Amino acid sequence: MRRYHSLLAAVAILALGGLLSLVLADYRLRLLNVSVISAIAVIGFNFAFGLAGLISLGHAAFVGLGAYTLAILSTAFGWSPWLAIPVAILVTTLFAGLIGYPLLRLRGHYLALATLGLNVSFTIVVTNWISLTGGTNGISGIPELRLGAFAFNDERRFLWLGLVLLALCAAFAVTLQRSRYGRAMMAVRDDETAARMTGIDVTRVKITALCLSAAFAALSGTLFATHVRFVAPEDFNYAHSIIYLAMLIVGGEGAVAGAVIGAALLTFLPEWLRFLGDAYLAFFGLMLLAILIFLPTGLVGLAAQLRRLGGHREAETTS
Amino acid sequence: MTLLHATAISKRYGGLMALSEVDFRVAPGEFVAVIGPNGAGKSTFLNVLTGLTPPSAGRVLFDGRDVTRAPTHRRIRAGLGRTFQHGRLFARLSVLENVMTGAAIRTDRTESQLRALSLGMLDRMGLVGEAHRAVGSLSYGQRRMVELCRALACGPKLLLLDEPAAGLNLGEVEQLMARLTALRAEQELAVVLIEHNMGMVMRLAQRILVLNFGCRIAEGSPAEVQSDPAVLSAYLGEGYGNAQH
Ligand SMILES: Nc1ncnc2c1ncn2[C@@H]1O[C@H](COP(=O)(O)OP(=O)(O)O)[C@@H](O)[C@H]1O
Ligand SMILES: [Mg+2]
Repeated sequence: MRRYHSLLAAVAILALGGLLSLVLADYRLRLLNVSVISAIAVIGFNFAFGLAGLISLGHAAFVGLGAYTLAILSTAFGWSPWLAIPVAILVTTLFAGLIGYPLLRLRGHYLALATLGLNVSFTIVVTNWISLTGGTNGISGIPELRLGAFAFNDERRFLWLGLVLLALCAAFAVTLQRSRYGRAMMAVRDDETAARMTGIDVTRVKITALCLSAAFAALSGTLFATHVRFVAPEDFNYAHSIIYLAMLIVGGEGAVAGAVIGAALLTFLPEWLRFLGDAYLAFFGLMLLAILIFLPTGLVGLAAQLRRLGGHREAETTS
Repeated sequence: MTLLHATAISKRYGGLMALSEVDFRVAPGEFVAVIGPNGAGKSTFLNVLTGLTPPSAGRVLFDGRDVTRAPTHRRIRAGLGRTFQHGRLFARLSVLENVMTGAAIRTDRTESQLRALSLGMLDRMGLVGEAHRAVGSLSYGQRRMVELCRALACGPKLLLLDEPAAGLNLGEVEQLMARLTALRAEQELAVVLIEHNMGMVMRLAQRILVLNFGCRIAEGSPAEVQSDPAVLSAYLGEGYGNAQH
């Protein structure tokens, strides 16, 4: 039964995404790619924020570190991007582990502020370390991903690759969430003292959650870099961290499905609401406010509530 | 033989001595009660034993090892268990998942072993019907029992219970006592019970430690403590002492 859930998540992503990849036009496919890449980052963010309760506002820095590592290795050093991907993930995860020790002594608002600072610092460093990062000009000429003669160089092909990776990430995340590790993270978020009292090493669980979130962020960053084939500092500034947070909250924190739905919705919404013009930001703010107040468990929570409501109706009519 | 040996434990909060030079021993399988008026330092004592609060002075030996500076999770893995005076469950986990979090202390257990073991524990405590409910939907008494299950699932050698009967109705208190007794009949489990319910203390405890203003004012068998004049005046009150005569 429990093994089903991860399989179900993967199949749903592949089926729905695969179908859309065949019917949508190129511009929509580009947005779908952006959704898939964001969804991987938000699934990662869910480990830190949704499960372990770490209020981080620096997730985009990890995405950026992954993207820049790949960009530098594949251009300046001529590495194959396939080789640069695992190295970028490793570098970012190690960085998260190192920075986690001092950072995770902080809690709540202080942690939020410190991670925001981390993100701002990241932007400053990549903007000013011109010899390595190209400064505000960014890094262009990132090679495409290819398997033999098959290059993932158009939107449809890249989407297939992205969907496979997203499906794997979702399946892994669902499995982990329903394991002792996921429960330990949620226990730490709910009550650190009680978690200690069940033998949980709270510091280790928090660091693990941060490293996992950074690893997913780095994968997302490497996909971003090989999709756009260009990286620049503003792609990873703190505003993106806030968007990841918004995606998770709108979709439903603590749920892998919520991360995916939130990422897709907040990528497409600006396009659907293009007619609002500048009023879009006001609409976006109000929508976020409404969700925080009326739907604290996000769209996934709403779906669960509706299902329960439907269940009650059925019970009433049959009795 | 001594399972827990605390020597000269003191804890100072600013100008207040919450504990002064308290000595305390628990033998394997022993049932000891700690009583004392509100503010006597009982919960603080458990905090020191479990490593939530560092003592200002003193040493804690558990199972032959000095754990005075060991972090809480190490002490729990070494065989210490505890429930809290004001119930602390994991709100977003189901009843079963709460207990499974305790059982996961042994890393060699598979997911299905964790599940089976936790369901067994819930069954023992009469809660298996609530296994998949959210803890928020349970009664106060049920929550305390779930917390007890979670602590027991860690397989402790010594269980520290901080006022487990507070807020329970008479039937629930009877159940709690019966289940603790049954449990101790099956396995060697030492218990330190902090409790205001004197009926419960007198029926279960082999030995009683009495604290007042952070000091040990008496220790002995229930009969000894019951007739100790210092205890009668300090804890049970002068009125209780007079009524006995
Ligand atoms: N964290 C703390 N900071 C300051 N004072 C505390 C703290 N914890 C307990 N105390 C004080 O220590 C004394 C003992 O408290 P406590 O151990 O909770 O008593 P009991 O459990 O016996 O009712 C009380 O006077 C209480 O106010
Ligand atoms: Mg107390």
